[in-house]
Amino acid sequence: MDEARRCLVFDPRVGLALLVFANLAAFSEQPFWMEMTWIGFLLFLMLLHHCFAMAGKSLLIFGGILCLQYWILPAAPGWAATSFSIFANYARRMMPCLMIGFLMFRRTPMPYLVAGMRKIHFPQRLIVAVSVTLRYFPAIREETGYIRDAMRLRGIRGLAKLEGIMVPLMVSATGTAEELSAAAVTRGIEDPAPKTSLVELRATPVDSTAFVVGVGLTAVLLAVKLGVFPW
Amino acid sequence: MNTQKKGMTGKDIITVGIFSAIYFVINFAFMLLSGLHPLLWILMPGLIAVFAGIPFLMMCAKVPKTGAVVLMGFITALIYFVTGQFTVVILIAFAVSCILAELCRICSHYRSFRGNALAYVFFSLGMIGSPLPIWIMRDSFLAQISQQGMPEAYVSTLAALTSPGMIVVLVGAPIVGAILGILLARGMFRKHFEKAGIL
Repeated sequence: MDEARRCLVFDPRVGLALLVFANLAAFSEQPFWMEMTWIGFLLFLMLLHHCFAMAGKSLLIFGGILCLQYWILPAAPGWAATSFSIFANYARRMMPCLMIGFLMFRRTPMPYLVAGMRKIHFPQRLIVAVSVTLRYFPAIREETGYIRDAMRLRGIRGLAKLEGIMVPLMVSATGTAEELSAAAVTRGIEDPAPKTSLVELRATPVDSTAFVVGVGLTAVLLAVKLGVFPW
Repeated sequence: MNTQKKGMTGKDIITVGIFSAIYFVINFAFMLLSGLHPLLWILMPGLIAVFAGIPFLMMCAKVPKTGAVVLMGFITALIYFVTGQFTVVILIAFAVSCILAELCRICSHYRSFRGNALAYVFFSLGMIGSPLPIWIMRDSFLAQISQQGMPEAYVSTLAALTSPGMIVVLVGAPIVGAILGILLARGMFRKHFEKAGIL
């Protein structure tokens, strides 16, 4: 990977740390201005990692949720308000975490994620399991696409569809598990010796700064909660 | 995780990883659906339990080892952590339910369908951690929505919908759902997987 591409990689350690901070922030009812700071900071981080479309979409979604909560829902009829207020409330809380998650999804390739988890001394078993799970999501999507095409050809509808998707999916999952583990065992996945890695993790200045900002925001949150600041 | 001879091999871990992915997809689909109405949210753990029985029991049949269920729960929790759905309440509910499920499997020596089925009932109960904060953090939650400009009548409707009595529904739904899920899974196993020689 050339130098320019490498700079775009979002350091997995920074990503995981930011996730912890964002989760803390999301569930401690932070003041409005702090929430805005988080969103602004993450948008900026996305731009620095050249995820322009993602930043735009995030901004639109967040703006949409705010509009929904402050203007549309209070004026909406009862049933609509009941339906969407919990949804809007939770979606808004989840937003920073989701933004970090998307950024990691796009800008932290799997080998880097594995290398990062190894660096922070995750147990090897968990690393294998988590990386297999994450890598299998696109495979599920692909499989169900094919299955759906086949069902459409045969005109399968209604509840039979459920069975029609589940059974082939399970069969192929079992097959993949066999093949993947045969391949992984041949390559020494069960070897207890420390693993080597092709990729070298280096936190870029952008990511290091992001980490510092995350720590700072959490410190401010703590200060606000403890009542050091009057807000 | 233990590292004895009987512990999980690389193959077991990969199998758990793959079935966790399927479990998570089902779980997440209902999670999104539950955003539509609070009632759906309360019933969500039950709905998930109905449909996630197949991957769970398949995984149980494939990996008769200690730690498989805990690993599956851990992966699910970790991915929820990324999506920001993660609260301390979910963590505790998940941990308790996974450990109970694991104990169930240890006692039934992993191979019995009934033991695995009971383990699934416990495992499904873990998801009640998601709507539970409504009851636990009730006051702050309701205060927050009225502060966002929700009309008084609406807030009281929501409060009524999440009355303490609804906890019975919340806990009952996954149990009933899990039993339905087990029956569904058993039907599918008999109809397809045993004949195909996969189990």
